[in-house]
Amino acid sequence: MRSVMVRIVRVTLVALAVSWSVAAQQPAPSQVTAQDLRDGLKNPTRWLTYGGDYANRRHSPLTQITPANVNRLTAQWQFQTDTLGKFEAAPLVLDGVIYVTGPLDTGWAIDARTGRQIWRYRRDLPSGLIACCGLVNRGFGVLGDRLFKTTLDAHVVAISRKTGALEWDTPMENYRHGYSGTTSPLVVKDKVLVGVAGAEYGVRGFIDAYDAQSGKQVWRFYTTAGPEDAGHGTWRGTDAKAWEHGGGSIWVPGAYDPELNLVYWGTGNAGPDYNGLEREGDNLYTASIVALDADSGKLRWHYQFTPHDIWDYDSTQMPVLAELPINGQTQKVVLFANRNGFFYVLDRATGKLLRAKPFIQTTWAKEVRQDGRPMFLPNSVPSEQGTKVCPDQTGGTNWMPPSFDPSLGLFFVTARESCGIFFTWKDDYNPGDAFRGGAVQRMGETQSSMLRAIDAATGEKRWEFPYANQSWAGVLSTAAGLVFAGGSGNVMAFDAKSGKNLWHFQTGTSLYAGAITYMVDNKQFVLMPAGTTLTAFALAEF
Amino acid sequence: MTIALGLCGERVATAQDRTAARAEPRPTKNPFEGNPQAISNGRAMFRTRCAGCHGPDARGYLGPDLTGLWAAGGTDDRLFDIVRRGVPGTEMTAADPLRVLDKDIWQVLAYVHTLSGVSAVASTGDARNGEQIFRTTCSSCHRVNGRGGQLGPDLSRIGSGRPRAGLSSKLRGSSDIIRPGYEPVTIVTRDGERIRGIKKNEDEFSIQIMDVRERLQGYLKANLTDVTIDKQSLMPVYGPDRLNDRDLDDLLQYLTGLRGELKPVARPF
Repeated sequence: MRSVMVRIVRVTLVALAVSWSVAAQQPAPSQVTAQDLRDGLKNPTRWLTYGGDYANRRHSPLTQITPANVNRLTAQWQFQTDTLGKFEAAPLVLDGVIYVTGPLDTGWAIDARTGRQIWRYRRDLPSGLIACCGLVNRGFGVLGDRLFKTTLDAHVVAISRKTGALEWDTPMENYRHGYSGTTSPLVVKDKVLVGVAGAEYGVRGFIDAYDAQSGKQVWRFYTTAGPEDAGHGTWRGTDAKAWEHGGGSIWVPGAYDPELNLVYWGTGNAGPDYNGLEREGDNLYTASIVALDADSGKLRWHYQFTPHDIWDYDSTQMPVLAELPINGQTQKVVLFANRNGFFYVLDRATGKLLRAKPFIQTTWAKEVRQDGRPMFLPNSVPSEQGTKVCPDQTGGTNWMPPSFDPSLGLFFVTARESCGIFFTWKDDYNPGDAFRGGAVQRMGETQSSMLRAIDAATGEKRWEFPYANQSWAGVLSTAAGLVFAGGSGNVMAFDAKSGKNLWHFQTGTSLYAGAITYMVDNKQFVLMPAGTTLTAFALAEF
Repeated sequence: MTIALGLCGERVATAQDRTAARAEPRPTKNPFEGNPQAISNGRAMFRTRCAGCHGPDARGYLGPDLTGLWAAGGTDDRLFDIVRRGVPGTEMTAADPLRVLDKDIWQVLAYVHTLSGVSAVASTGDARNGEQIFRTTCSSCHRVNGRGGQLGPDLSRIGSGRPRAGLSSKLRGSSDIIRPGYEPVTIVTRDGERIRGIKKNEDEFSIQIMDVRERLQGYLKANLTDVTIDKQSLMPVYGPDRLNDRDLDDLLQYLTGLRGELKPVARPF
């Protein structure tokens, strides 16, 4: 009996030693460092930010899936949220695990190989939320062992990447006054950068930085210029407090240039959306791009795409950083396909306008002067009787992210042709009440949608693929020469050079997000959020 | 940035909201129906709170067309519930009872009902003759109370949702409005067969139609040589040569009287 016990103890000790030895040989769980975020897609197995990298190019170096074999792409697994609503998020991928946020402040960790859930996060939301434009979220940010997200009740939270448990929770503003959070955070160094939505309720928009460790606010930049700001004089008119409820929402994350230490962020429309009578002037810094010092939040430069916006042409699109040949020299630029229908190229260091060209039909302005101001066209101001303007308020594009292929110099964007009848009336500001000052009547016969490839250096259209219905899908491109986008529920792959459609898969629901791609076990996956389902595609193995 | 909101609702429904909403007994018929002051108040509230999604004319933009709600079988109390509670999973969020009073919702509904253009003034036509004309002329494509064709819209409640003038212009051919789901389409197959019908759905690679024989079928565009969305409705134009003014008046009298409401069905469980 004793010898049996000894044998059991010995076996147990050996087993413990073996397991200890195996554990010691395994790499420690990955900590996402600031350098990892800076490296972007250099490790192409990962996808660590909304835009793929700090330049927001959504252009992966992965080449296993090519134009020649993409027709073998097949669904490998699906993950369903079992919630209402829809995905608008870009999933993050790290070490074979997907982290994604869903509607109504939900989130999941999912096995990237199989689609099996690892943990689920759900925020207990208060009653009386005021949230325009869908109870959605556009994704996590990541640093260390933490994930970060904004919430519909205008908080920013950190949760454990291992368990989904809440680690800190910081309110940004009072949600009862119309503030909400839907943007994915931009994590820079040790800070979590976020912003708020709510221009349709007369909020005063801002971009905030929070310490990733403690959750304490580090800095705030208001997107409507207050008395202490240089741009305050651009708020004139009969309402002296117009800037206090002047809008300027943040819907999607900005870009970051580590060398210049600048973050670039698009800002939303001025409020009220369609009535500018009480807020005369340019209304800085709404409908603009702002370049902020990443450490202090101080404004370094700004460029306003739509001065005194009265068409809801907010600039809540993703800025894309690139290097382009301009006048014989390679120049660091920001690319911006704006909701107002123009494609802009700006100097990344100074904000100087280098080029602006419509990428859809526009009737509010046909061109932009050399000094950067648009040449407004007559008969385009919203009126009590209604005024036809193109594009309509959904814009030439919207929040859906574009992609940029630097080897081809092509910018791929989901574009929309549309016109609307813009009406205006007076709305009084009451905190938390709708504050639009008008509305837009549909002109259905004018609406169409397509994937467009724009030569970033010239602004010229290279090719396009028309969709059967209006698309809200984002874009992904890869170094293999593929573009993934979609419409009418179809995830599609295109030849990046020609625009030829090479593959499609009907998901059965509308697309409100863009695909991402990652590698696990030497297998390239393309992951597409559609409705409340994630579908992972890879090459079929025959 | 305005993408979508909801019919007069701005807040997310919670159990607490729903309990509060249920606590107050309320009428099943709109107490403000036809009240000019209430309609005026409702218009002002509609513009501020609803027009962003449903359009200034309530004919829909990012949200659906509201002018046909009653014609589609909606009742006052059901529509009140939708506004109060919202539509889960959509941008149509609940109206907070602390911010939006019951009478606010009723007044907005009273205003929206006026946009359907339905007049309380009866025409002088003979509805019985109108029904006979309908049976012989229209029912091959349109259904009323379970009888008739299904190529065109069901007209069982058309009198609740479309004004007499609108029906008249549609019959006479001066209206080019075609309801979604009834767009006329002609497709040509690879072997040259031409098929006419109405488009039910379409994506980049396929189209789904009901042909003129009421056959539902999907087609891959790769197998078609042509897909044409026609401008002209499949519905014939009934000019005075085909339908004289008196018969038109009788037909309109019949159609405007079609206001069937969904009858409650006893639930066994």
